Amino acid sequence: MFQLLRHSRSWYHRKSRTFSTQTNPKPRVSFLNLEGSGMSAIERLCLEEALLRHDPLERSWAIVGTHDPIYNSYLPNTGTKCSNESCLIIMGIGGKPDILLDVEKVKRDGVLAIKRFSGGGTVVVDRSSLWTTFIGRIDDFPHVDPYPKNIMTWSANDIFHKVFANMKADALHNAGSIEKKTMVMDTKSCGLAQGNGTTLKYSTDNPTSRTNDIPDFALRENDYVIGERKVGGNAQSIVKGAWLHHTSFLWDYEEENMSYLTLPSKRPDYRGERDHDDFLVKLKSTYGTIGDDNSSKRAFFYHVKCAAFEAFELEEVLLKDAMKVVDDLGGMKAWFDGKCRTKILDLKT
Amino acid sequence: AELKYTKDHEWVRVEGDTAIIGITEFAQSELGDIVFVEIETEGETLDAEEVFGSIEAVKTVSDLFMPISGEVTEFNENLEANPEVVNSDPYGDGWMVKIAVSDASQLDGLLSAEAYADLIK
Repeated sequence: MFQLLRHSRSWYHRKSRTFSTQTNPKPRVSFLNLEGSGMSAIERLCLEEALLRHDPLERSWAIVGTHDPIYNSYLPNTGTKCSNESCLIIMGIGGKPDILLDVEKVKRDGVLAIKRFSGGGTVVVDRSSLWTTFIGRIDDFPHVDPYPKNIMTWSANDIFHKVFANMKADALHNAGSIEKKTMVMDTKSCGLAQGNGTTLKYSTDNPTSRTNDIPDFALRENDYVIGERKVGGNAQSIVKGAWLHHTSFLWDYEEENMSYLTLPSKRPDYRGERDHDDFLVKLKSTYGTIGDDNSSKRAFFYHVKCAAFEAFELEEVLLKDAMKVVDDLGGMKAWFDGKCRTKILDLKT
Repeated sequence: AELKYTKDHEWVRVEGDTAIIGITEFAQSELGDIVFVEIETEGETLDAEEVFGSIEAVKTVSDLFMPISGEVTEFNENLEANPEVVNSDPYGDGWMVKIAVSDASQLDGLLSAEAYADLIK
């Protein structure tokens, strides 16, 4: 059994939980923004599991970012040959490739497939996928029973309803408008302004927002949906004293990449017989864009951070500080090659 | 034999020097449809509260914790092909492991049926 290494707590400057006049004090949560970090999808999953299982300060976390599906910054980039570098297939820990994937097509197209440490189904992620992760320590989240439905109900109600309500409000407000807009939080720009100080304007090329007919976000069975369509894949992992809930939201994707997935035999009732094209929805086509794609994705993460500010006592943490947890495990490669449960799948056997 | 329970929603039934372990009705209902049970600790001696395996439901994977110390002597292989038995018969055919008990006194620290019922109210 892996022995947890102990460190001086002064490292992380962890403070005791703040109590307010509210009945339930806000959970203290460390916020980590991985935008622009260069961390790959695999490395993100490795970091998440390390923080969940081996953070010596047992912090709760909120983590956002986008990630390259193939190219690593910490792990070697040798040994995996992918002809299709645009996407990554990520299966749940119990996923069976021969049932859930068109294995011959995956092999023929040279797509990398991995298993992650959490449960749930299979997703295809790319550079546009928007990742959000919440790690809740039971002591910090006494109001969230550590079971799937409770965790998802909490995340939908306390976080994502607000996020998507704001996405919708922004899109509707700016539909067809050339009105300039800036976003400020805590008197600081969230970064949507261009370097020369001018703000960006919304472009709304999609018919949905022009007709003010953007469906609402909801939790439907175990899925996050916009209207009747699934907007991302989510999964959870429950360990002693903590849970992790992560989601990859579909900003934009190549329909062709979804053809690597078969129609699963176990499907939510609301899906019916719909194939991936009719079942999934892209956030980009639903809400439009602000300036360019990168600005739009930052807007999404801005709304996540705003919701997190409301729900938590948020403390921003730098990647290098979060990576100390991985360093304690011998570094990213040692962790990935060892006890980390995220693994590359060998589909040849 | 009377069942004992843990705060992590496992049950234990002791038969001589052997304890049989599974998860409770409450746990299986909260997790949802069980799709996979992974136990690779057969032959290992583990302490109380150490992880002896994992259980996967539709969206979630959860660690399974030893209620008491012992050597994992047997895994319910039926669960490999039929994990849904954990949902349908959590106290019977849905048992997960048998262990050789190291320290029977640890059973005194587990919950009675009444105490567990209070916990899940």
